[in-house]
Amino acid sequence: MLLNSVIIILREVLEAAILVSLLLALSFSLRLGARWLLWAILPALLGIVGMATFIDTITDAFDGAGQELTNASLQILVYCFSLLIVSVSAGLIIANNKTSLLRWLMALAVVCALIREGSEIFIYVAGFSSAEELRAAVFIGSGIGASIGISLGVLILSGLHALTPARTYQVTLLLLSFIAAGMVMQATILLQQVDWLPSGKPLWNSSHLISEQSITGELLYAVFGYESTPTTIQVVIYSLSLIGIALPWLGRNSFWNSKHVD
Amino acid sequence: MKARITLCLICLICSPCWAEKPVFDIEIKNHLFHPSEIKIPAGTKVKLIIYNRDSTPEEFESYALNREKVIMGGRKATIFIGPLSAGTYPFFGEFNPRTAQGKVIVNEI
Repeated sequence: MLLNSVIIILREVLEAAILVSLLLALSFSLRLGARWLLWAILPALLGIVGMATFIDTITDAFDGAGQELTNASLQILVYCFSLLIVSVSAGLIIANNKTSLLRWLMALAVVCALIREGSEIFIYVAGFSSAEELRAAVFIGSGIGASIGISLGVLILSGLHALTPARTYQVTLLLLSFIAAGMVMQATILLQQVDWLPSGKPLWNSSHLISEQSITGELLYAVFGYESTPTTIQVVIYSLSLIGIALPWLGRNSFWNSKHVD
Repeated sequence: MKARITLCLICLICSPCWAEKPVFDIEIKNHLFHPSEIKIPAGTKVKLIIYNRDSTPEEFESYALNREKVIMGGRKATIFIGPLSAGTYPFFGEFNPRTAQGKVIVNEI
């Protein structure tokens, strides 16, 4: 139970921690500080408790598709906020108060990601800590899992922060694009799970190369949305999402380069 | 008349999605799946209804099937799988992976 709690919580925390670290690194490189992260905490907590409390109603809604629709919506929202963050920071969207807009967008992206990952942690911990013989193992295991996940997030943040601000900006935008596209792909799978999107036979099977259960597989999943057996529609939607979010900052980079050549 | 033809066309186009899919029931009891093996035909989309008879929540999860869903204690959940090629696709309960193990066996018809 202890080890299992560590693994479950670590998986969920790591996914959220990677996104938070990236946005923090981006925020530091743009001199936006970290205060916006505090704005995200209360709405995220309310969302997590709300979703866990009403999970039965949510699950049964839309003919049993409610849970998937809610999670898919949260992931698509993370993509939309990331797309806006990229577009605003690349100067594609002109705003009067760019810094405050970016802070709000980052906070909103974090709120959605935390609700998605956090509600599952809440359901697990609340469900198993009610049994007295399991309580200690669940709490200790969850604590260890969360600590490892957060430490890895801090490690990623300090790694990105060690680069020059211009390089941090480029690397975080690149990784954010992949993570956001991965979110859309996860949403696609959820919609296929409830038959809202058509499914099909997988386009390839790379599970013998990199298993989704391996540590490499889990990390690739968290950053690139790695699937060992993707269907055609998943690959198409992933590619379109990636192109959609990469265009603004690719445009910006070539604009930068052309200025440097002059 | 025109409306009727349009209606018929819509029905024709949508009929594959409306067609009833085979339904399979799975129960979770004492953190075990019953049955722990289900056999489904290849190339067919099927509906799984998973009843959690335990008081604790469970998460139905499968890497091979790309599926994950939380099922609260005493509740049920629906998921669709397939169309799949012949083979064995393991699934497990993420919250009790030591005991809650099962597989979907896909046979060519």
